[in-house]
Amino acid sequence: MSDEQSIQKDDAVETEQMERHTKLSIFMHWFNAACWLFLLATGIGLIRNADLQPVGGWWTDMMRGIFGGGANLLLVHEIVGVLWAVVFLVYVIAKAKEVVPFLKEIFTIDPKRDVLWLVNKGIQMTLGYKALYKLDGILKGRFGYKPEIPDQGFYNVGQKMFAIPSILGGVVIVVTGVIMTASNVMLENTAPVQWAILIHFLTVGFVFAGLLIHVYMASIAAGERPAFISMFTGKVPEDYAMHHHKLWYDEVREGR
Amino acid sequence: MKTQLAMVVDSTLCIDCKGCMAACKVENKVPDGHWRNWIKTDGVDFSMGETFSRMHFQPGNCMHCDVPTCVHACPTGATYKDEKDGVVKVDDRLCIGCGSCIPACPYGARYRHPEKKIVDKCDFCDHRRARGDLPACVITCPTKARAFGDINDPDSDVARMLKDNKTVRVVNRESDTRPNIYYMGATAPLNWPVKAQAPTPIRWWGDWAKQLVWAVVGINALGVLAMLGKQLFVNDPEPGHESDSTDGGKPVETEETDHE
Repeated sequence: MSDEQSIQKDDAVETEQMERHTKLSIFMHWFNAACWLFLLATGIGLIRNADLQPVGGWWTDMMRGIFGGGANLLLVHEIVGVLWAVVFLVYVIAKAKEVVPFLKEIFTIDPKRDVLWLVNKGIQMTLGYKALYKLDGILKGRFGYKPEIPDQGFYNVGQKMFAIPSILGGVVIVVTGVIMTASNVMLENTAPVQWAILIHFLTVGFVFAGLLIHVYMASIAAGERPAFISMFTGKVPEDYAMHHHKLWYDEVREGR
Repeated sequence: MKTQLAMVVDSTLCIDCKGCMAACKVENKVPDGHWRNWIKTDGVDFSMGETFSRMHFQPGNCMHCDVPTCVHACPTGATYKDEKDGVVKVDDRLCIGCGSCIPACPYGARYRHPEKKIVDKCDFCDHRRARGDLPACVITCPTKARAFGDINDPDSDVARMLKDNKTVRVVNRESDTRPNIYYMGATAPLNWPVKAQAPTPIRWWGDWAKQLVWAVVGINALGVLAMLGKQLFVNDPEPGHESDSTDGGKPVETEETDHE
């Protein structure tokens, strides 16, 4: 904890703050988080079949107990799901100026730099810096290996690796969800509905797996406290930006 | 013992008048082209010569099985076997109309309602029984081929009929769902139930998709644990950034600034 306190102290005294997130994008982040958790909990509760239920029948019982039966649970899941999708749709259309650069940023990968970042950051987060130098000693520059963690832009490639599946997955989840919701209103053919159920489940499962890393990085990982705080204030300290998002920091500084 | 509503059918009494089918269709507003019940036949029997040719008719409907493969194919539990009366029912509001249960019934007892877009089937006339009446097909049968009641109640007609007579059930060899329609003596045809099979996506879900999701979630959870363990227990200062405290372990310098 001591280093986190010192960071905040250092920030307050020494470094300027940099604008990182708009108020609206902060709202969208937490709106997304709330919808995700609610839809995840209620969605798992909609699975009664023991062969298919990933958590256990007790979860289904609990959720149906809370919402007064499976039919009501389905209804709130559908309502919140549609709300989630509609709010995002409106956001994407109304704030295209904010969304398009964001999409451009997260879909931009610099293979050489980013693969090395993934390898080295992964080793550093689990085995430590010493392991990087050990690996360097073994490889001796083969495969263009360097023990340094390469500089990153507004998002590092780890964040992009979660952002890309979250966004593509979100689209898949909404489309399959709409197919299922529409099924007992207008669809004649049931095959797409049956496939939609499986794809909906798989996609949610994969994005949830990534969410574990996202939550750890944002709320527990050492040195990431300024990023967490920025999801409320919208600002990060300059030294944090310089250290974690050097390419973005340089860009902003040059732009001034 | 738990209540299990069932039918005991003397199919030799059936004259193929289709009274049960018409009564059901009216009672349950079954749409054009669909039926909740049926009368099967295997054609004309000429074994005793043309003069004495005869036909055998077999009335039936949802068998409210003890091993309901349809319930097993339903993801949400909209199709369920009611504990109170042993009847396999559909919760209209919970059914999303995916139709997974339809091929999972060996008897073709289910169809997707063309207007409601959800599955529909025989429920032994739930609404009639609620007011103390018999199912429409039972009450309307002129030859009383269909007997109805709780087979677990020893005083019921059906329990006595089962006790005093040899009965058969019509099953597919590959899918014995333990149906609750019993036929007195012998019946025909016997070869019409199909193998019960849930659609591919539902089978894949149980066969590997659930396990795959757990595997991916598990790998990521292990990754998180590895990072957490390293963060908590390993002192790993970042080389060349001694004064920088925003990453890695706990450089000594930041400890000192802490105590100012």
